[in-house]
Amino acid sequence: MNHALDLLIGLVMGLNLLALGSGRLPSLIRAVSLQGVALGVMPLLMEPEVRWHVALVALATVTGKGLVIPALLRRAMRTANIDREILPFVGFVPSLLLGAGGTIAAMVLAHELPLLPEQTGSLIVPGALASIFTGFLLLIGRSKAIAQVSGYLILENGIYLFGLLLIHAMPLMVEAGILLDLTVGVFIFGIIVDRIQREFDSIDTRKLTTLRE
Amino acid sequence: MSPGFLLTSAFAAASASLVVGARYSRTWLALVVCAAAATLAAAFRVLLGTTDWEWRSNFAIGGEAAHLRLDGVSAVFLVLLCVVAAAGAVYGREYWSDAREPGSAPRGRIAWSAMVLNMGLALLCSNGLHFLVAWELFTLSAYFLIRLDDRRRPARSAAWLYLAASHVASLCLFAFFGVLAARTGSWDLGPMLEHAELAPLFWLVLLGFGVKAGFFPLHVWLPSAHSNAPSHVSGILSGVAIKMGIYGIVRFSGWLVVPPGAGWVVLGLGAGSALVGITFAFAQNDLKRLLAYCSVEHVGVILIGVGGALLAVAHDNAAWGRLALAGALLHVWNHGAFKALLFFCSGSVVHATGTREMSRLGGLWRAMPWTATLFALAAIAVAGLPPLNGFVSEWLLYLGLFDAAALRSAAAWAVLPVAIVLAMAGALALATFVKAGTIVFFGAPRTQVARHAHECGPLMRGPMLVLAGACIALALAPAVLWPALARAVGAWNPAWIGAEPPAALDRLGWTHVVLAGVAVLVALVLVRRVRANGTRRGPTWDCGFAEPTPRMQYTSGAFAGIVGGWSAWLLRTESRYRRPRGAFPARSERVERVPEMVLEHVLAPTGGALVRVALAARKLQHGRLQAYILYLVLGLAGVALIVYFGGAP
Repeated sequence: MNHALDLLIGLVMGLNLLALGSGRLPSLIRAVSLQGVALGVMPLLMEPEVRWHVALVALATVTGKGLVIPALLRRAMRTANIDREILPFVGFVPSLLLGAGGTIAAMVLAHELPLLPEQTGSLIVPGALASIFTGFLLLIGRSKAIAQVSGYLILENGIYLFGLLLIHAMPLMVEAGILLDLTVGVFIFGIIVDRIQREFDSIDTRKLTTLRE
Repeated sequence: MSPGFLLTSAFAAASASLVVGARYSRTWLALVVCAAAATLAAAFRVLLGTTDWEWRSNFAIGGEAAHLRLDGVSAVFLVLLCVVAAAGAVYGREYWSDAREPGSAPRGRIAWSAMVLNMGLALLCSNGLHFLVAWELFTLSAYFLIRLDDRRRPARSAAWLYLAASHVASLCLFAFFGVLAARTGSWDLGPMLEHAELAPLFWLVLLGFGVKAGFFPLHVWLPSAHSNAPSHVSGILSGVAIKMGIYGIVRFSGWLVVPPGAGWVVLGLGAGSALVGITFAFAQNDLKRLLAYCSVEHVGVILIGVGGALLAVAHDNAAWGRLALAGALLHVWNHGAFKALLFFCSGSVVHATGTREMSRLGGLWRAMPWTATLFALAAIAVAGLPPLNGFVSEWLLYLGLFDAAALRSAAAWAVLPVAIVLAMAGALALATFVKAGTIVFFGAPRTQVARHAHECGPLMRGPMLVLAGACIALALAPAVLWPALARAVGAWNPAWIGAEPPAALDRLGWTHVVLAGVAVLVALVLVRRVRANGTRRGPTWDCGFAEPTPRMQYTSGAFAGIVGGWSAWLLRTESRYRRPRGAFPARSERVERVPEMVLEHVLAPTGGALVRVALAARKLQHGRLQAYILYLVLGLAGVALIVYFGGAP
């Protein structure tokens, strides 16, 4: 069972690198949506028998992260009429290298952290750290708003992975609330992207610097 | 009439002048003069009487009950304010008239009223909060007066510099009054000699009021503001506004306990300021800038007296401390009178020729006999020569310093060098004003503008005559003034009440009367002889030049050459010299400029470095979302590292 879980987390880490290395926005969104599905399945694998609470979380996650949010992102992309990240702040190869370095660092760091004995062997903590790092890297290194939203989603996925450690301690409502927040956040982001596009004929966030003062 | 009634009516008149000033210039003038006269009467009643005037309101203004107090110290400064404010208002009516300056004259009248009113209020306020408000309003209205001629760039930048310097000073004053109120539990001001722990606050007082007083090295704003303001404004700035700084120092050194070294520091600052100020004045080529640096010198002279008095308090020597303080306070009056007169004279020159450059003037005494005579009179006073008023106050100072030296105490070692510095400054002041007077008024006109000069009108001449009269009165009757000075000295330090006048003061007055009489007699005889014999014009020895021109006269730079050479390390004169070359030389020139040393060699580089650092830091905040996220991550990582290695408890 834990083998399957570790395999999924390995898939998540691989998708992180894919997200970092891809310049085309559709493949970035696809990576994010796949990651969402993988994360959604995880709670089912962690438990010996499936309870309705865990099943509900899994279902909601798969729908939200795997279907709804990527759909919203695709729509925003179509409205803004772009499909490429050109001129990122951090190039694709450097960000790939950084991401790989970050993943290794996450493994080392997770080894150093004072974890509970039953979680020392699992990949959950390093996977979470690596996803958070990847999310930040995308947020810092990309100039298109949609790429940044994807980074934000990956960051959130990392946090969700951490949350899996606490799946029994965390009430369902909290989980649902986070998911709802995320959906609303992406929704609003989509609207903002649309507005920026209409106003400035571009969604390049670099052009927003003139608004600083 | 009681001082309270007089001051109330003066306040009403001044407030009314603020309202009507923009449109009705005659009414404004009448109101200002009436207010000044009423205040003058109140100040003299207090100064020559025995009781202070004090008033507390039973209503609150800004959360504090108003508390006004007119005692000996504030009365001295109030008298000066009234005389110069009224004289300047009359002078300004012709000098900065509606006809000549339709755009700025109404504005100038309102700012004048506001400044004078708030200076008066600051002198009377005995509540820290209200004092600060009046002080700030006075500072602000002075700013608008300095930039009255705001079509000229130098006037605008001088006003900005003044405003910046004033704000630094205000910061110190806010800190001072705030700490004072926090420690004593009330904004009310008054003698607080029981709070010995407040002594270090004196340094804040010295810094905050020192910028306004303009002693070296806090004088950075003073030369440009004084020279670029209209001359009636320069007169009140130099005559009264910088004395407000002196008032603050005198006032709070009397009310608070001062730290042990204060007397030495003030004495040293005074001596340094006197010498440096007059050295810079000597090197100037701009008539009003020269006068401005001369004000730095005289502020130093006043501070020497104040420092001597502080030293005397520390060493418990009432006898010479009284003399030093009385000399300082008398010098406040004297400097106010003759420096305002000098600025009015320079204003008359500017009015007639349109330039302050001494090298473009010359030979003005033929066209402007009144101005030339009054300038000569004020120059004798400012150089501290008998029989005029500058000598009386400096003589009192010397008397105090020599008495201190004669005691052979520790203070004597400091006091003797200070007396020598004072004498050197006096000699340089004489040289400075010989230079200014001769270059501007004697010789032949150097340019067309000087050739077509004209005498000023009666409204400008009248106030100048009044101030000259004040100079003469202060010189001829020093013994009459002594009770007023003794009262102020008593208000400063109650232990020194009832000082007897020094025995020689009366004799000095008579000597002055005789000297003045002889001088007038000699002048009359000379004038008569010149008239009888007539004047004969002929060529001077012309050094082999076939055609000497007025441009070949000594310039002010040449006049100051030797002293400039001695103090080159201080003045750092910048000169550009293109030598004549070859048999038929083309145009050649020599340009000299004396920079404001502290401003251009100390403050400007420091400020420039600060701006560069700030601009570099500003790049951190460039509005890029990505970079902000990076800062966030770095901050989080930093916190994590601190928690990881710091070992939270």
